[in-house]
Amino acid sequence: MTQDPLVSFEGVAKRFGTYTAVQKMDLDIRQGEFLALMGSSGCGKTTTLRMLAGLEAPSEGIIRLSGKPINDLPSWSRDTPMVWQSLALFPFLSVIENVEFALKMRGMGRAERRARAEQWLDRMQIAEFADRNISQLSGGQRQRVALARSLVVEPQILLLDEPLSALDAALKVRMQSVLKQLQRETGITFVYVTHSQSEAFSMADRVVIMSRGRIEQIGTPQEIYRTPRTRFVADFLGSSNIFPGTLQADAQGRAAIATDSGTFLLDGQHGAAGQAASLTVLDTRMQVHEQRPAPGVNAVEARMIGEEFTGATATLYFETPRGQEIRVQKSHEDLADLSVAMGRSFHLSWSPADSHLVHE
Amino acid sequence: MGRRISAYGLTFSLPMLIWQLLFFVFPLVFLIALSFWTVRNFRMQPDFDTVNWTTMYGRAIFWQAYGTTLALAAGAAVLTSLLAFPVAYAISFKLSDRARRWAIMLMVIPFFTSYLVRIYSWQVFLSDAGIINVMLGWIGLGPYGLLNTPGATLLGFVTLAFPLVVLLQLFSLIFIDRTLIEAAHNMRCGRLRTVFAVVIPSARVGLVIAALFAFILSFGDFVSPIYLGGGDPTTLSILITDTTKSGQQWPRAAVIALTMIVTLMAVAFLSIRFAYRGRK
Repeated sequence: MTQDPLVSFEGVAKRFGTYTAVQKMDLDIRQGEFLALMGSSGCGKTTTLRMLAGLEAPSEGIIRLSGKPINDLPSWSRDTPMVWQSLALFPFLSVIENVEFALKMRGMGRAERRARAEQWLDRMQIAEFADRNISQLSGGQRQRVALARSLVVEPQILLLDEPLSALDAALKVRMQSVLKQLQRETGITFVYVTHSQSEAFSMADRVVIMSRGRIEQIGTPQEIYRTPRTRFVADFLGSSNIFPGTLQADAQGRAAIATDSGTFLLDGQHGAAGQAASLTVLDTRMQVHEQRPAPGVNAVEARMIGEEFTGATATLYFETPRGQEIRVQKSHEDLADLSVAMGRSFHLSWSPADSHLVHE
Repeated sequence: MGRRISAYGLTFSLPMLIWQLLFFVFPLVFLIALSFWTVRNFRMQPDFDTVNWTTMYGRAIFWQAYGTTLALAAGAAVLTSLLAFPVAYAISFKLSDRARRWAIMLMVIPFFTSYLVRIYSWQVFLSDAGIINVMLGWIGLGPYGLLNTPGATLLGFVTLAFPLVVLLQLFSLIFIDRTLIEAAHNMRCGRLRTVFAVVIPSARVGLVIAALFAFILSFGDFVSPIYLGGGDPTTLSILITDTTKSGQQWPRAAVIALTMIVTLMAVAFLSIRFAYRGRK
């Protein structure tokens, strides 16, 4: 990836009055990637997208598109088509007129733009609805119209602002694969804003996690899932158990962290002793035993307080004597040998290699 | 259960029903009956004679007045809509919420003063010795005969309808989904073009209804044609007063009034159909 980024945010900040929506942000968006901006509401992800589309002006910093600063370019002079959460289809135009709109604005002749629009309707499998009103379409069909409308101009980049949030679960999954496939086939850079981890992780090449106007972590879904870099990310993903504590060295000089629930070994060196940090362990990497495991692994004793069956896996909830809650995800086969029962005590273990450290 | 709901609904719709019967249906029925009465020796008497209809419809002056009134009212509807739109647009899209509330209040204030007073004050501006001609005189122009012209009548109609048209347009513009405008900008549609491509189509129903109100108000107005237009050319409203004054011809006036009502209904029906065309 030595290629120049398609978009770069350089120290970009956005303030609304006294409220800071985005704090000095640096972000490169690569040519042809599927990038997801993820975070809970108010984290600045939509503002970031809107600044890129020219719908908000940055208070500070420079946004570049293909190397050129676009800060002063009005929205209508940029080629950054966007798909809105509400889709923003024109109710007073027919389906095909909606798709033709952007071409018409570019001064393309009637016959040519009709042909191009028809091609895209065909591609999105909604050709039969060309002359319908928007109000006569289902949610999924509208989605496809909105995509066709933005893609008909064959842009370099497509911005999507939570476009699937109004769909039901099954349709959402189907549209995810439609989107991913479209992105792969066209090679268009997709910037996708979402609060949904499953959407971001299933589609994106890279995920940007934002919180309170700041980027917390950028990485592939695997990187972020396996090694959340900050406490916030670990919390937000909700897939790790978090043990706040203090770094120290154990008797043999190995790196460890002292937490309320005990002192646990770490893999490798992680900073100076006495420093505050949190240990994170993925809920899928925890083992459950009835007997105390052999030394060399980290272990903690905890009482089972709940269980939840979610399809192929089961989620078990435990509580340590010190009140820390621990979540473990196991397949049903893994649990077959255990006599799982509420209130019973178990030993939970994980290897130092599965211990990750995050700083606040 | 069903009976109780209908009794409940009736309680609330009954006043409306009584009102409509008392002040619309009964007078209308009476007006229709009246149009068939005859007048002998300056006295009206109940009758069933179509003479009023044939007489009025046979007169050139009636059709002239009809054409004039229609043209003036249509002109007023178009002119008022064109003048009001930039104002309504600016209020709904360019002002802060606070400034918008003030602007709406300012648009309500004209309703506090009598329309007649507002028309008289135009006379002060427009007459040969009025403010405009005096000021033109300072730079060696005029005086121009501004009063007693169709243009002055039109100005009166605009005065009458403008605040209402602004308010009606405003309320349709305010409720336009702003993301539609952003979406247009996002697709290379510049500001002015967005007004025509997105704002006006989105607000079409409200804009047409606002113009319809301007038409209705102007079509039946008597004050402006007489005090600013000088009664020439004659409008239907003037024709009605003339008809009643000359020889107690109330039945013939009823013919004019009924023609006006039917015209207004037709115009209202057509414009609402136009406003909702293509909508489902």
